[in-house]
Amino acid sequence: MIQTGIPLQAPLCPDARQDRPAPILRLSGLAKSFGPVAAVKPLTLTVGRHEVIGLIGENGAGKSTLLKLLTGVHQPDAGTFELNGRQVRLKGPQDATEHGLGIVHQEQSLFTNLSVAENIVMGAGRKGSASTRGGLYRWRALHREAAEVLARIGSTVSPATIVGDLGFAERQMVEIARTIHVACRTAERQGGAPLVILDEPTSVLEEAETAVLEHEIARLRAIGSVIFVSHRLEEVLRICTRIVVMRHGELVADRPVEGVTEADLFRMMIGKDRHARTREAVPPMTAAPVLRAEGLTRTGAFRDIRLDLHPGRITAIVGTFGAGREALVRALFGAEPLDGGRLEVAGRAVAQWSPRLAIRAGLAYLPAERGVESAVGGLSAARNLTMVPQDRGWLLSPAGRRALAEEWFSRLDIRPNLPGQDLARFSGGNQQKVVLAKWLRLKPRVLILDHPLRGLDPGAGATVNACIRAAAAEGAGVLLLADTLEEALDLGHEILVMRDGEISARFDRTTDDPTTLDLLEKMV
Amino acid sequence: MTSLSGTGSGRAARRRGLAARAGVAELAILLALVAIFSMLNPHAFPTLTNLNTILNNAAIPIVIGVGASLVVLTGRIDLSVEGVMGAAGMAFVLLSANSRETADIGWLAYPAALAVGAGLGAATGAIHALAKVPSFIVSLGMWYVGLGIAAVLFGYEMIPFLGNEAAVAWPTATPLGLPNSFVLALVVVGLGWLIERYTRLGRYAYAIGNNETVARMTGIPVAGFVVAIFAFAGACSALAGVMGSLALGAGSATVGVGMLFLTLAAIVIGGTPLGGGRGGALRTVTGVLILSTLYNGLILVGVDPSIQSGVSGIVLVAAVIAAGWSQRARLRVFK
Repeated sequence: MIQTGIPLQAPLCPDARQDRPAPILRLSGLAKSFGPVAAVKPLTLTVGRHEVIGLIGENGAGKSTLLKLLTGVHQPDAGTFELNGRQVRLKGPQDATEHGLGIVHQEQSLFTNLSVAENIVMGAGRKGSASTRGGLYRWRALHREAAEVLARIGSTVSPATIVGDLGFAERQMVEIARTIHVACRTAERQGGAPLVILDEPTSVLEEAETAVLEHEIARLRAIGSVIFVSHRLEEVLRICTRIVVMRHGELVADRPVEGVTEADLFRMMIGKDRHARTREAVPPMTAAPVLRAEGLTRTGAFRDIRLDLHPGRITAIVGTFGAGREALVRALFGAEPLDGGRLEVAGRAVAQWSPRLAIRAGLAYLPAERGVESAVGGLSAARNLTMVPQDRGWLLSPAGRRALAEEWFSRLDIRPNLPGQDLARFSGGNQQKVVLAKWLRLKPRVLILDHPLRGLDPGAGATVNACIRAAAAEGAGVLLLADTLEEALDLGHEILVMRDGEISARFDRTTDDPTTLDLLEKMV
Repeated sequence: MTSLSGTGSGRAARRRGLAARAGVAELAILLALVAIFSMLNPHAFPTLTNLNTILNNAAIPIVIGVGASLVVLTGRIDLSVEGVMGAAGMAFVLLSANSRETADIGWLAYPAALAVGAGLGAATGAIHALAKVPSFIVSLGMWYVGLGIAAVLFGYEMIPFLGNEAAVAWPTATPLGLPNSFVLALVVVGLGWLIERYTRLGRYAYAIGNNETVARMTGIPVAGFVVAIFAFAGACSALAGVMGSLALGAGSATVGVGMLFLTLAAIVIGGTPLGGGRGGALRTVTGVLILSTLYNGLILVGVDPSIQSGVSGIVLVAAVIAAGWSQRARLRVFK
């Protein structure tokens, strides 16, 4: 499928190393804030030639913002950005590629209906390729052009294959080829070398495919340099020559890989390790779970999930982006399909499942995308609060709605106390409380919370957390996807860790007292 | 379509994909229809005269379909077909020798009519792309703008009959064995195929239809290409309007009546999904031939014309269901 026996020195670009080994990338003082939040604090980084740099950090450490700055998706607030010795201001990923910096994302950006060759050449832009000059396609030349690029990175994918027919790893090779095609030419013209960023390339690959990718990275290293972003630390240690760690928007470590262990990396990523802040009594497990899942599977998202939710207990799931937690909770609520497994709600097995049936069975789901899936701006808070289908008849009188809204406004302390006001005019935390009230009003057996604190300031988060605890205390079985490990530790009575679609660890707070480091170790 | 295919079943999927891309199923349906109607009506259906009737009827929707498929390939839709046909057809008649003696610019009437269509199409595309209004709405409006232009041109005077007898007789003549109208349609199909296969315009149409976000990220100037594609579709509709006017021998604002449904149905039945990214002009030819054969056969079998309308509606919905059957589990939201 993919040739790996070719010697590694087949440089795509003539190397100008002998004259001046100028670094490919030089960032100094690069910074980016979103409102009051500093996503990337002033940061200095230099990438030389023939380096493979592992960029690691927890979720929210600022990695993705840094990548977006590098590829021109975001513009930095301050600092300078040099590529191959020239100061640049990138307008977007395409512009970045044309400056010699290519990025390959986890979610692929290929045209699945077109051939490999077309995808590779199309990335070259309108002026980039001789075989499409003048708007006319010379297919033979185009296939030759693509085949050359593929051969140089050691891939034997046929240029004529339709991308949709390829497996995931092969597609990734095509992406790399496409990126290299342009990035390398620019770098060559400017007497520099290309830089390729691989953003979590291995998270969707099988082991054998990962081996192919490693060869690929070695080849890229012969040409230019690679920034490798991954959550799999053993891979980072194996593949990279240098490690860069981010934490809270800062670059906290930058060192060669020699002598570094996985444990060192964990420590650098987390900073200070800690236990749960509160040590309140964990409610006992009652005999019957309100929701029981056995062997739940969805191809490509999660597999063989076992899960019991008990009344009064909060179960928190932690995992990296792409671990499958979001898909799992959405499937539990019937918002996404399931491929296999058994689901029981209140002791009854579920055959047909949809959000409507789920609500009828006593489930409630607070989606992560508050603005898109749960809060209807333009409607009053009271109307939002009473939007879920009624058990008591079809009609709700205006007086009844007002009474309900007033009751819940006082119970959750929603401010300002104006149920008639357009929901969009409330602050984020209070919007979230209205949405929460919408579900709590139905006295759900199971409350599924998908990142309930997303986008809230710490004060608002604390009050929403209090609401969540109160809901559990009233007897709901709560399933929480927490934004941070601290949040999961502080709220969860049971903590499940997911990795690559499977549950990799379970901590019951009656017996265990895990630290953030324990959780992270099972996550990555 | 974009789901990940495991490497294990890759070869089987590849073979299935190849068959689907070649449009084998649609051709089989066409042949089956021909066989069925030949058996039901062995005297009237499988004759050269009837073949020429079917092909002549198919010519206009095929010409429209070439442009319209390109639009659909990008994931957009052009509903303005009938209006553009009316406006361009009337412009053509009034610029040719006719009984109302308006103006006779000779052969220039043909390019003038095509320019009217291309202009209306470009306007649709530009409004859609620049004002970011769905093409569905813009082209719906342009349909009535076109009809309005045609009605104004038609005015309240007598019907403008075409003066050039030779031109009027041309479409149905069969010097090459097939009706000229169909030969012309095949030329347009050939042009459409070349565009789809060998030009950036066509290849980008596939790319945009497959994933517009990626297309933008790849640096494809989506808006510009969309305008060009709508202009091309407008020119195709205009040519169809000219052909329709020649067939009528007179100018009429409603020369395109019924063509929108026929063409869109043919595109979908031929195997170009409305979501875009797959299919093309050749597929649409099969779709048009399936529908024209069906109409013709039903008439010859003696089915009431009013029932045919219902039949074609059912055929369309059935074709869409069949095409999307394998993916229905993934469709959670459809509108």
